[in-house]
Amino acid sequence: MNKGEELGMETFQFGEEIQSLMAVVQPPEAGNSFTALLELPANQAVKLLHSPDETAPTNLPSSVFPSAENSLETTTSSVVPNSSPNNINLVKQEPIDSDSMHNSSPNPSDPVVSKSTKRKERETNVKSSAKKIKSVANDDGEELPYVHVRARRGQATDSHSLAERARREKINARMKLLQELVPGCNKISGTAMVLDEIINHVQSLQRQVEFLSMRLAAVHPNIDINLDNIFSAESGSLMDCSFPGMVSPQPLSHQLWQPDGLTPQPLWGVEETNPNFITPENSFLSYDSSGNSVSLYTNQLKMEL
Amino acid sequence: MKVHTSSKLRKEFIKKWVKGLQICCSLKKNMDILERKKKIKLCADIALASTKNETTLWSIALISDAKKDDENKILVDNLLGPESRFKPRMTNRQMIACHKRVRSKKILKKSRHVCQKMKKMGPPKSNLAAYIAKTLVKRRTQVLKRLVPGGESMDEFSLIKEALDYVLSLRIQVDVMRTLANANEVLNQSDSKIID
Repeated sequence: MNKGEELGMETFQFGEEIQSLMAVVQPPEAGNSFTALLELPANQAVKLLHSPDETAPTNLPSSVFPSAENSLETTTSSVVPNSSPNNINLVKQEPIDSDSMHNSSPNPSDPVVSKSTKRKERETNVKSSAKKIKSVANDDGEELPYVHVRARRGQATDSHSLAERARREKINARMKLLQELVPGCNKISGTAMVLDEIINHVQSLQRQVEFLSMRLAAVHPNIDINLDNIFSAESGSLMDCSFPGMVSPQPLSHQLWQPDGLTPQPLWGVEETNPNFITPENSFLSYDSSGNSVSLYTNQLKMEL
Repeated sequence: MKVHTSSKLRKEFIKKWVKGLQICCSLKKNMDILERKKKIKLCADIALASTKNETTLWSIALISDAKKDDENKILVDNLLGPESRFKPRMTNRQMIACHKRVRSKKILKKSRHVCQKMKKMGPPKSNLAAYIAKTLVKRRTQVLKRLVPGGESMDEFSLIKEALDYVLSLRIQVDVMRTLANANEVLNQSDSKIID
């Protein structure tokens, strides 16, 4: 019994560790205490550097950043031998980043941060000057807490881990997007749990598709489904119902059904069978946007009957 | 604005889906229920993927997967019509070679990881939690890769973006199918009422 309890306690502790780690995995913007200690003097020094000199050679990479933010083309065209690899790497990162909105916001704060981190790097990494190409360029995706790690290790693996961390930044930004999308993910912290939820969501959606297709197959003996059956059952007074969504689908419906050879007819006040094809299509489609289709259908049928 | 674009997508989806079903019906009559279900699902998937117009990886992968099956190929080609830009990305032999490459890479990776683990046996305990977290995340990304069509050949970063897009499209698909199924039910009920 004791061993079992011990194991239970251990797993519980691991669980807590995992949880705490998950919280840390999300990039903390404020930074830890000792990085704050490191950062503050550096930041101020960098700011002092920044403001007077806009065109000083040490500030060339900083001038690259705003242009990188603005447009991709200008970065490729800028001809600075020292920082051209930076440009290339920045351009590589930018196309990926341009999709997500989130990456645009951290960028303004990054130049300051990355300036300080770069200075530290130059102080300590004399050896990895060849690798500096990648490491310098990746600084703009860096997070504050890792400053001290980089300062210590002036080794060949440095650029590797830096690239990794830039990657993680991007991934975390996207994970946030996903979190907002999948219901119920907002409260969960930690990549693994969010991924779990996403996986569950995707699986459930796929299963629903399977199930629904089975249902539809059961209903229709010939799979030339849908609209013929539905609309032959209704006798065409659907147009009378004033449905808000009906007006907007109208132009689209004309385009939809024209290839099928049906003449486009005005939505309202036509009694022939052709518009029955169109108008119930409209109403059907507009039902989609309502989300309350079943009750609407029953209401309409009651109206007719 | 979001509702607007999704209703557009819905209409496109429905149109393509119905068209595909009509083609199916004309190609083969009198299918049993399982076949029908498969065809319905297939048409729905293809319709969904085609609404993306090749902008996403998963849609491309979905359609090329559907095309692999010979009997589906005709359907797909007909459905997508003369505008069909989807070509099977690889021949069968290339695909087998690709799989072999992927598998050998995986084996290499695993052995390397195992070696590293053996070396790292006495790391500071603070890394252990990170290690656990990493393995958890890795497991889950593997699962996600299997779920999203074409996910195997994506790196982690684009996988997330594709998953996002895929979820959105799946939602539309489910929504449309569900409204259709419900409508059918309601109509059947009303029909029976009329008869009674």
